[in-house]
Amino acid sequence: MKPSPPKPRGHSFLQDACQRLCCNRAAVCSIVFLLLMLLACFVLPIFPCVANPNLTDLDHIAIGSSWQHWLGTDHLGRDMLARVLYGGRISLLVGILATAVAVALGVVYGMVSGYVGGRVDAVMMRAVDVLFALPFIVVVVVFSLSIEEPCRQLTDRAVQLTGWSRDTLAPIFGLVPIFLAIGALGWLTLARIVRTQTLVLREQEFVLAARSLGLSHFTILFRHIAPNLLGPVIVYTTLAVPGIILTESTLSFIGLGVKAPNSSWGTLIKEGADRMEVAPQLLIYPAVFFCLTLLALNFLGDGLRDAFDPKSAKD
Amino acid sequence: MIRYIFRRVGQGLLVLFVLESLTFFLVRALPGNPFLGERKLPEHVLAQLNSLYGLDAGIWEQYLRYWKAILLHGDFGPSLVREGTQVSEIIGQAFPVSLALGCLAMLLAIVVGIPVGMAAAYCRNSRADAWLMFAAVVGICIPPFVLAPVFGISLGAHVPGLSVAGWDNPLCMLLPAMVLGAVNAAYLARLTRAGMVEALASDFVRTARAKGAGTGRILWVHALRSGLLPAVSYLGPAFAALITGSFVVESCFQVPGLGLHFVNATTDRDYFLIQGLVFCYGVLIVAANLAVDSCQAWLNPRLRS
Repeated sequence: MKPSPPKPRGHSFLQDACQRLCCNRAAVCSIVFLLLMLLACFVLPIFPCVANPNLTDLDHIAIGSSWQHWLGTDHLGRDMLARVLYGGRISLLVGILATAVAVALGVVYGMVSGYVGGRVDAVMMRAVDVLFALPFIVVVVVFSLSIEEPCRQLTDRAVQLTGWSRDTLAPIFGLVPIFLAIGALGWLTLARIVRTQTLVLREQEFVLAARSLGLSHFTILFRHIAPNLLGPVIVYTTLAVPGIILTESTLSFIGLGVKAPNSSWGTLIKEGADRMEVAPQLLIYPAVFFCLTLLALNFLGDGLRDAFDPKSAKD
Repeated sequence: MIRYIFRRVGQGLLVLFVLESLTFFLVRALPGNPFLGERKLPEHVLAQLNSLYGLDAGIWEQYLRYWKAILLHGDFGPSLVREGTQVSEIIGQAFPVSLALGCLAMLLAIVVGIPVGMAAAYCRNSRADAWLMFAAVVGICIPPFVLAPVFGISLGAHVPGLSVAGWDNPLCMLLPAMVLGAVNAAYLARLTRAGMVEALASDFVRTARAKGAGTGRILWVHALRSGLLPAVSYLGPAFAALITGSFVVESCFQVPGLGLHFVNATTDRDYFLIQGLVFCYGVLIVAANLAVDSCQAWLNPRLRS
């Protein structure tokens, strides 16, 4: 039997984009850096090489780098490397969760607004205008203050149900108000982008075909229109993550974000800024980790934009 | 054109009305009340305070009374936490500070950002372009709360005349304005580059070049006009946000601006002050968007129809 000739292989849009992305050196370096950062923040602290971030070493207070403490210690003798890694864990976690909330809200809102169109669309977009005109910080504060109490009740329920101690659960549930508050405002731009795309998509033949086959609006929206939105949504999401991490850190810096048992990069930078003249390393280390992560996310976002939208790429 | 402006102003007023109503109900839905201080007040004192400020009436009655005071007397009510001060006084004192700081910051951002973007677009894909745009991304990634202490210690402490805190002489404005301007300069540089690259590749620039116009004239006259469009649409809202102050910068440099009030009023539940501040911010945002649209119509004849 003759071996059958190899089938010609087509390239999907996604494969093309991935290929273009792999040619972008800055983007690839960013991906590697971000993966390492995620590993360092989420996996490394499990091993004993990283000290307990709350353990105070009273013999070494606010010292520089040494073999025992690679990045030195803070004003209470806590290991800086451990604190930066644990802080990064909170910052990245809040960033990812808040982005997930924002993307879910923005995509659904924008899709519905664009697909339904007409008067509903007009009203929905005016609502977005109103929310845009609200000062961000006021809304975040109002939001996080008003869901603090329900979150506390939720923690109580969780303690009862799982039987775990309050000390393990409280830090986790303590993050809920902050990421919900940031996510609840981060969706506005995405909703506008998705709406514009949906307005174009719904006039296309494949939507007409789906409709004439008798598919429900729900199926058309989520099976036929949603996959076509993937490109812009991925690009916007990557570019939104640094903004959201920045918001969380700003809030933590001014004392409204992550609360006491937790600390994020923002709280660490605040503590460092207060003691900058005495021990500049307390500001420098968390700030460097923070800025490098934002930088990598921005480069990745730019790379993805060029990969998914070759027209906008540098000519 | 006039009809268009009227319609836009009408829409803006509607947005403001909804915004203010939303804020009214939102802040009253907050748990706690403005009179929770360090000391717990006795029941009858609390009742007295509530009736003094009209907070004991039904919520709809309060709502109507609030709008009546604004529309008939231009009165935004008293501050609930700072006794004896009117909301308009607080805003009147803090706004000029933030306005001056914001204008200087915006000026710095424009003076640095737009030429950098133009230069990068002019020598696009060269090494200079790559470095300039790298610097812009770095500028976006270093947040004000890192920049403020770093500038404070590196410049404020060593350069004579610059002061790290306070608001008693004009030089005090320089450091906070630099911190505020840096991020905006970086965004402006990126947006200007994107706009200029597109403009420089367009047909009318080729025509201008064929006609024999010099490089300077092409850059500053022909291409800049349409190349500025993306930067202009960013500038509007950014300007409104800048002149209403930034909490981080104002608290780092001890500037008595408006930004501090946004946070403090909300955590204090100072209902009338929050509403006044949101109103102020809303007016500026709506006005900025209107200005952006008119500016774009002026810059790009194709948008005028």
